[in-house]
Amino acid sequence: MIHAESLTRRFGDRVAVERLTFDVEAGEIVGLLGPNGAGKTTTIRMLAGMIAPSSGSARIGGYDPAESPERVHEIVGLLTEAPGFYDRLTAAENLAYFARFYGGLDVADAVDRSLERMGLADRRRDRVGTFSRGMKHRLALARALVHAPRVLLLDEPTAGLDPEAAHDLRALIVQLSGEGRTILLCTHNLAEAESLCRRIAVLRTKLVALATPDSLRGQRFGATIRIRLERDATPLVRAVGDLPFVESVHAELEGGRGLVVRLAEPDRNRPGLVSRIVELGGEIHEVVEDRKTLEDVYLELMKEEG
Amino acid sequence: MSVRRIANVLHKEWLLMSRSPSNLLFVVVIPLVLVGQAVFLAWVLPRFLAVGVPTSGLAEGLSDVERFRALILDQFRLFVLIIPAMVANVFATLSIVEEKITRTLEPLLATPVRTWELLVGKILSGAVPAMTVTWASTGLFVLVAAGLGWGSLLGRVIGPAWYLAVFLLTPAISLLSFAVGVIGSSRARDAKEAQNLAVLVVLPLFVLIGVQVTGWVRFTAVWTLVLSGGLVVLDGLMIRLAVRVFARESILIGWR
Repeated sequence: MIHAESLTRRFGDRVAVERLTFDVEAGEIVGLLGPNGAGKTTTIRMLAGMIAPSSGSARIGGYDPAESPERVHEIVGLLTEAPGFYDRLTAAENLAYFARFYGGLDVADAVDRSLERMGLADRRRDRVGTFSRGMKHRLALARALVHAPRVLLLDEPTAGLDPEAAHDLRALIVQLSGEGRTILLCTHNLAEAESLCRRIAVLRTKLVALATPDSLRGQRFGATIRIRLERDATPLVRAVGDLPFVESVHAELEGGRGLVVRLAEPDRNRPGLVSRIVELGGEIHEVVEDRKTLEDVYLELMKEEG
Repeated sequence: MSVRRIANVLHKEWLLMSRSPSNLLFVVVIPLVLVGQAVFLAWVLPRFLAVGVPTSGLAEGLSDVERFRALILDQFRLFVLIIPAMVANVFATLSIVEEKITRTLEPLLATPVRTWELLVGKILSGAVPAMTVTWASTGLFVLVAAGLGWGSLLGRVIGPAWYLAVFLLTPAISLLSFAVGVIGSSRARDAKEAQNLAVLVVLPLFVLIGVQVTGWVRFTAVWTLVLSGGLVVLDGLMIRLAVRVFARESILIGWR
């Protein structure tokens, strides 16, 4: 649904985004992480057809944003980092204004549905100037959704929201993805990215990494698996250590009834490890993985990138 | 689709305008001040300056006082053009800058609206009320002048040149003022800078009024028609220029 190919944007001598290549499948949520100035908003703007790339290209739902921005605008809902409204207009008037620019839309119905979905139906006749920050964020998402877009580009959707409002908004994003909408989400909130996104793209002008959170963890740190057994695990150490995907292994815990295994690609290899231990006669009580957080991964990546 | 989108911009702008008491006050007060000033000048100045008033054959057979008064009544058709210029200076210069300040420009440009649809909507949303207010002011001025017993003088003054000024020159000036104001607004970094640019529209008007007020050069029907025609062409060029200089990218990137 979203395809970027060597997407590059320069502002004078400064390179904001450099040779960015990635795909987002239909219905997928991909998080775009990176420090301030990493090029996240520039990427979103290029994909939304708001600014043109200096080189490279993109396709959204089959349309090139640089060549057919209006087509792209029809199928994309954009939530900007600091969403603004006409404070003297009501919530419904604000949405109706934006909705009328789209073709083939029953504006009144689209506005009602959008407000209803965001829990703002009872405030439809209130001026936006009287809304709290959380309500304005919900209204901004209602605006991004008013034309039922297939693709959502969300720039910091929960920034500045209280925990409850942020939680509600995250639940809504999951729901939207469940409806088959493709979502590219810029965020600084790593826990949010981990909980919402199937894949994470780490950006620092260039694409530093793109994978599932588990893969990122595996690629950076491997995984440490602690296995508690019924009996002494020392006899298993050599055989487990011979497995091609095991990086290191040693026995620990009182009486040696535990194995500590460092594993490459844990998602793929964890079942193989457990099967092998069972084959070797090990009686497993518990398998626990020492998980690095996405924050650990992110900080490690940033350190490597300088 | 285009007409619907332009109407959408117009509707929103007028809704916002109608909900701002200061905007309404401005639109009402400026014409009233101008009408009052013109009536006052027509009433008081001839008492002090009755001798040697040049009227270029405007009012043969009138006393000096009446000739002077007729001259001022005649000037009103140009004097009133300050209204659209001033209204534009306030509204048009804010039209894009305000969207930048309230952060509504980016979501707006993320819709399929075309630049020309947005700008024509913005220009018309200000030019139409400015034109209407100017016509209302002219009507009010005529009523007050008639009420003060200057009906026969009005009869001498109001003719083809007057009608052309009101119904052709006024719309042309209104459109020009707003087109220049919108250009200023889209290029400026803040409202003050936009207003400074738009003042440039008002200055030629003062020259126009100054030239005519001497009475030595009078904008006859033919000259008013020529001037209006020129301005209509200029309006078209300015609207094209407004679309051309509205650089979506630099507006989005340059505004923080």
